[in-house]
Amino acid sequence: MPKVTINGNTIEVPAGTSVIKAAQLLNIPIAHYCWHEGLSVAGACRMCMVEVEKMPKLQVACNTTVTDGMVVFTNTEKVKTAVKWALDFHLINHPLDCPICDQAGECKLQDYYMSYGLYTPEMNQPKVKKEKVVSLGDRVVLDQERCILCSRCVRFTKEVTKTHELGIFNRGDRSQLATFEGRPLNNNYSVNTVDICPVGALTSKDFRFKQRVWFLKEFDSICNGCSTGCNVTISYNQNGVFRVKPRVNHDVNGFWMCDSGRDIYKYTNKEFRLTQVVERSEKLGGDAVRGKPVALALQEIGRQLSQVIKNKGAQSVGLVWSGQYTNEEYSSMGRFFKDLGVSQFYHWKNNEKDFDSFDGILKRGDLNPNTAGLKKELAGLKSWADFEKQVSPLEMIFVMGPENFGAYSDLEENVKVIKKAKEVVWFTACESSLLKEFKWLIPAKSFVEKSGTFVNSKGLAQAFKAGLTIVPDAVSLEEAVKGMQESARMVS
Amino acid sequence: MSVVKRPSQKSKWYIPGVLTGLGITIRHMFFNLLHRKDIFTIEYPEERYPYSDRFKGNHILTVKKDGSLRCTACMLCATYCPAECISITAAEHDDPNVEKYPISYEIDILRCVFCGLCEEACPVDAIRMGPEHQTAALAGSRFVYDINKLAYRPNLKGGVLSHVDDEERKARGL
Repeated sequence: MPKVTINGNTIEVPAGTSVIKAAQLLNIPIAHYCWHEGLSVAGACRMCMVEVEKMPKLQVACNTTVTDGMVVFTNTEKVKTAVKWALDFHLINHPLDCPICDQAGECKLQDYYMSYGLYTPEMNQPKVKKEKVVSLGDRVVLDQERCILCSRCVRFTKEVTKTHELGIFNRGDRSQLATFEGRPLNNNYSVNTVDICPVGALTSKDFRFKQRVWFLKEFDSICNGCSTGCNVTISYNQNGVFRVKPRVNHDVNGFWMCDSGRDIYKYTNKEFRLTQVVERSEKLGGDAVRGKPVALALQEIGRQLSQVIKNKGAQSVGLVWSGQYTNEEYSSMGRFFKDLGVSQFYHWKNNEKDFDSFDGILKRGDLNPNTAGLKKELAGLKSWADFEKQVSPLEMIFVMGPENFGAYSDLEENVKVIKKAKEVVWFTACESSLLKEFKWLIPAKSFVEKSGTFVNSKGLAQAFKAGLTIVPDAVSLEEAVKGMQESARMVS
Repeated sequence: MSVVKRPSQKSKWYIPGVLTGLGITIRHMFFNLLHRKDIFTIEYPEERYPYSDRFKGNHILTVKKDGSLRCTACMLCATYCPAECISITAAEHDDPNVEKYPISYEIDILRCVFCGLCEEACPVDAIRMGPEHQTAALAGSRFVYDINKLAYRPNLKGGVLSHVDDEERKARGL
């Protein structure tokens, strides 16, 4: 394995490694736009110039392979000057619209100008005008003036999605990024091009102008959109969650995530959430009453549960599980009910038809983050077909309902089946008019508000931590068990 | 250690002190009656002290030639504001040359410390500190100034024109 020395630090790397990758392993920053670890090398931006000993000219670090005994410098005056003038060329036709650009604050042009540039522009020609606000597809907007033609997005559609929607057309300073006519950028991975765009040329329609990035805080989490379990970073502030971005994990998702996964944050925000306990009882005239403290509600549910078990036996209680909760919740809730003698556990799968499908890149048909965990923690789950047959004699049903309603296209039909039971306690993060006839609706925590473990479809258990609180009254299933157990055991 | 001072016999002779004070007051009264122009105080609110035009008082949002807001909703003022009194909601404009504009721009004037950093931060001369300084109102909600108040209040006579003009900048190739 060749040894390379960069700025006096020596590292041994596998043969074929590029200098920029070796520098990354040593945490030495090298300016770059076009190089991306997940894509092929283009050598288009000429920003990653380094000085290599015994070579007469500066080399691009992205396309120079490490050889044994190579000595590289990234911080000499010669390198700094080269980077500075490369940056000057990038900025010749770049419009100064940072005030309205969404990338401002995380823009590499801004960052490198502050660390390498700081020059007075010497160009006195007017800037080349191109089209602004070009819609490339359902999710991405292009600003051709801001584009520095690094071709990362073009290589992404060529190499990762293999859909070839984007291309660079024309020559010289008239070169521009565009889609082919009648073929918009509508694949399910299109917003990744926004993430890898080092400048503000590609922006996401969903996030556009919602927040300035410096007002957002971030925490790491796991996407709950499907059973792949992509590692994500969630951006939020006091007004809620604003976007979800992929985080590098070579074992799970690499550098990317799908567009439908980016919509998961919507179900965690307040406007979609059930914020209070909803109770409906004959004593109260059959109307839904909101706002009972969740601790009192759980106590009462526990009491009712013990009454039902005492009078009708444990076989008259059933539990319906969706794969959207954590391992910890499954085990504590499962243990609680097994201790009471309840063993009728049913698995609510969504979209039975394409449950096992896979799109070849990341997205799976199983739109639950923890189906594998559910099966592991609660052995002997019965299927939905069994539930349809056995539902009518059941006195009391607990539904661990989906958190992400968008994933459950069969919700309306299944709600009708569940309605056949006499008493239903439904744990839900989302508010929905479909659920208004059930006896109890308990607000559940969304995945950004609780800590736990998801097991993905490959069997990899991934722990994640709570990042923020959106609905203060919401409970996780673990907390719900704690609320119910005292009153449930008192009578029985 | 506390020392209690008992009133001495001498301090009981307060009448000369009172008369001296009253004398000074009466002297000033007659002086002011004879020299009305030299009085320092004014009869507020009928009479108001003229402040300099450069006084940094209540904010003004400037407008473009067509009367729409100059502000591009870049939020630099809200970022810079040490009192955190500015809240802006941005939206996408139909005209691609405008792209981004504020649909709401609110300043909580009771939180504002009139430091002028918003004016300094603004890249397009969209917010200025105007010479008005009297902010009295009856209800608390009146102290949150919205776009109507900031840009189009009656005494601005249809808005103050910004120095930064998009067309002029375009013509210069910027």
